[in-house]
Amino acid sequence: MTETEGFVDQAVSGLADPQPMYKALRESTPVFRSPQVVVLSRLADIEMALKHTELFSSNMDAVDLGNIRPLIPLQVDPPEHAKYRRILDPLFTPREMARREPRVAELVNEMIDRFADRGECDFHEEFAVPLPCTVFLQLLGLPLEDLDQFLEWKDGVIRPEGASGFDRRHEASAGVAQQIYEYFERAIDDHVASPRDDLLSAMIAATIAGQPVSREELLDICFLFLIAGLDTVTDSLDCFFVYLARHPDHRHQLVEQPDILPSAIEELLRWETPVPGVARVAMADVEVGGCPISKGERVSPLLGAANTDPAEFPDPELVDFRRNPNRHRAFGGGPHRCLGSHLARMELRVALREFHRRIPDYEIKPGTQLAYTAALRSVESLPLTFPVPAP
Amino acid sequence: MTRVDIDADRCVGHGRCYTLAPEVFDADEVGHATVHTDQVAGELEAQAADAERNCPEGAITLSP
Repeated sequence: MTETEGFVDQAVSGLADPQPMYKALRESTPVFRSPQVVVLSRLADIEMALKHTELFSSNMDAVDLGNIRPLIPLQVDPPEHAKYRRILDPLFTPREMARREPRVAELVNEMIDRFADRGECDFHEEFAVPLPCTVFLQLLGLPLEDLDQFLEWKDGVIRPEGASGFDRRHEASAGVAQQIYEYFERAIDDHVASPRDDLLSAMIAATIAGQPVSREELLDICFLFLIAGLDTVTDSLDCFFVYLARHPDHRHQLVEQPDILPSAIEELLRWETPVPGVARVAMADVEVGGCPISKGERVSPLLGAANTDPAEFPDPELVDFRRNPNRHRAFGGGPHRCLGSHLARMELRVALREFHRRIPDYEIKPGTQLAYTAALRSVESLPLTFPVPAP
Repeated sequence: MTRVDIDADRCVGHGRCYTLAPEVFDADEVGHATVHTDQVAGELEAQAADAERNCPEGAITLSP
């Protein structure tokens, strides 16, 4: 096995520091064929693939999450894709997210209240997991007591038991997927009967070319939200806090210069790339960087590799909270640019601001071995210790 | 004066420009960028240049 193959093999089971793998791939095999997928690691190729959805489709063949119809808008390509983004994008603009920010700040502080006096916490379990999930329930207008159920479903489709890589993906996720459809059927009924100020009511009231959004379309949007909006922010929080715990100088910079926070978040998104790659499928026989790719092959543009490509980023290994410009692709690019990117940024901004205001110094509990999860980069547990703040 | 243009076909709503240069760019109702001030100089020109360099889609053009 070559060094590169070894890296890719490890990546399937979770990788603590993927940046050396990105570099090795870019430099040795920028178009890398594994048994399951063709991996792209050069920014130029990745950008091209993200832009050309007619060649590299994001449709249902790209990834199987047990769903029975395409997830909206992820698995619908242009031109049809645009009609959905036209009704969904307005619900996730930075302005709309700013309106929700005070609620999220309250929530973040309530979560910190639960462990601040203890001098330690499992950051993953007590913060990184419940925060995005609770925000999601509030945003959509679903009962907060459904939290545990949601977490179970999310893991059931993203990390199904009994599935490895692409094998048996559908069988492993289909049962959970069915429960998700049924849950949202009931939630939609409830919102149709009594509309309120939340996202689900807004989508029910929306129209596409004069027609209301159909029941199936609503279900396919809700399903996507569940898998796209929960895990990814958990991954980002885990990655960011591991980095900041291990790099006290960077952490002190955040504490001492709070105005640097927005640009620090962009740099942490670049360096950590919590969603390391996206899934596409070739729609025709094409050639990328001299390497033929056949119609129907799965292709993975590795966003993390794009984000450390020296062709775009001078000194890519340097984490500089004032890096400018920083045209990272942590949220992808082209038509399928992450719909929730501004929600994610707002959650990360509030979480980092409030946490460091109250707990500026912390470290990973000595002796901890961090175990990263496959595909999306979260850790299974992140024990932090910190001085108890003065009352 | 420098002229600011956005290629609406390229913009997908990353929102970097109106975050970095709020006096030059604005957001439409779906969060895509619009040009608020299309002729800029001095401080605004510096803001616009910052936005242009940070647009992941290369959708912004500055021309003399």
